[in-house]
Amino acid sequence: MEADELLVLVARGDQKAFEKLYDLVAGPVYGLVQRVVRDPAQSEEVAQEALLDLWRSAARFDPRRGSALSWVLTLAHRRAVDRVRSARAAGERERREALRAASPAFDHVTEEVEAGLEREWVRRCLDRLTALQRQSVTLAYYDGYTYREVAERLSLPLGTVKTRMRDGLTRLRECLGGAA
Amino acid sequence: MSPLARLLRREDLHSLAAPYALDALDPAERARFERHLRRCRPCDAEVRALSEDAARLACSTAAPPPPALRDRVLAAVRDTPQEPAPARGRTPRLPPHVWGTQPPPARIRAPRPRPLFVPFATTTAAAALVVAALFAVQAHRTREELDAQRDRTREITRVLAAPDARAATGRDARGRGIAVIASASEGRAVVALDGYGAPPAGRVHQLWLMRPGAPPRSLGLLTEGEPLTVTDLERTATSLAVTVEPEGGSDLPTTRPFVQLTLKTVGFGE
Repeated sequence: MEADELLVLVARGDQKAFEKLYDLVAGPVYGLVQRVVRDPAQSEEVAQEALLDLWRSAARFDPRRGSALSWVLTLAHRRAVDRVRSARAAGERERREALRAASPAFDHVTEEVEAGLEREWVRRCLDRLTALQRQSVTLAYYDGYTYREVAERLSLPLGTVKTRMRDGLTRLRECLGGAA
Repeated sequence: MSPLARLLRREDLHSLAAPYALDALDPAERARFERHLRRCRPCDAEVRALSEDAARLACSTAAPPPPALRDRVLAAVRDTPQEPAPARGRTPRLPPHVWGTQPPPARIRAPRPRPLFVPFATTTAAAALVVAALFAVQAHRTREELDAQRDRTREITRVLAAPDARAATGRDARGRGIAVIASASEGRAVVALDGYGAPPAGRVHQLWLMRPGAPPRSLGLLTEGEPLTVTDLERTATSLAVTVEPEGGSDLPTTRPFVQLTLKTVGFGE
């Protein structure tokens, strides 16, 4: 059964359907959260909160308005970004990054395990963006920076960053269109 | 506001669609953009398309989750009640971001009851203000408002349950005041205004975080009688301030604060 159909059942309180849905979305949710949050223990915590959110607020999903997977990932991404921003505000991230630099990279392990086709396509398409488009999109989406912070980091005017983000996403869509 | 200024402002808001889809707005801007979305059909369609693009970026990062996560989530689901469906008729045009968006800060483990080391007198004053405001809002309610209310209540509970939650109030000679309950460790606070009434027509009350060596940061718009939960507060922050701003809020304060409250007593300013 597809994620969309399962999510409709979950909204009616079907725990069996939730189990199946979990198996479909837990990988993308966990991977995304880990990409943004980085710290393994915190990633697990945030992924757990996001997946439980999925159960709790399933009734808010409206299949007419988009795919279940993108809805779930939106929930998870928002949570991951919120977590990484408050950690960053507290200066924890710098400390953790220093630690990470000293220990074997956690990222690489999972990247070896998971080398899906979709991943390859997204990478290839990201490579086709201009450097500024790519950096604007990835600093925001994968690293959780606000567009103001992205502008600061890239020394660009705010308006330019907004445009690069939009052009970047649009170009990505065109490129991925053939790969779906 | 002149028609030109209004147009420019709309254009400006419109350009936030991509940052919004990437979750690259700060909370105040996010809220402002979501208000705009409710009225802007083209933006809604655009945000939906851009959000699907952003989700493609997510799919490329999939990784096998730890097996123990599955057991924990499934166990938690058995004890977690679900929220009722939102009243669809009233929100037919909200994009995926909006209905998913303000999920309560779910915690799987219920927060352990912890002693609040808060000076009793100040807490009760501040808490009474926040609680009074909460119940005032309950009076008129739709399903949607109740959902939002529940989310807000959870946010507030989260602040109250923090091990270092502390409260402070400030009142002027006429009995008007501002109350805050804050947790410095979580960088979160609940703020309520009392006695100032509604701002003049076309104006809003905007809450600012004052920080040393940095410009004031907007924490959002304050409505009389509705406590506002704010997050990501820097430990170095010195005070909260409220100003009167043009509708939609400003990037930086354009008027003198009419009320200001130090955050030192609630554990900030280190």
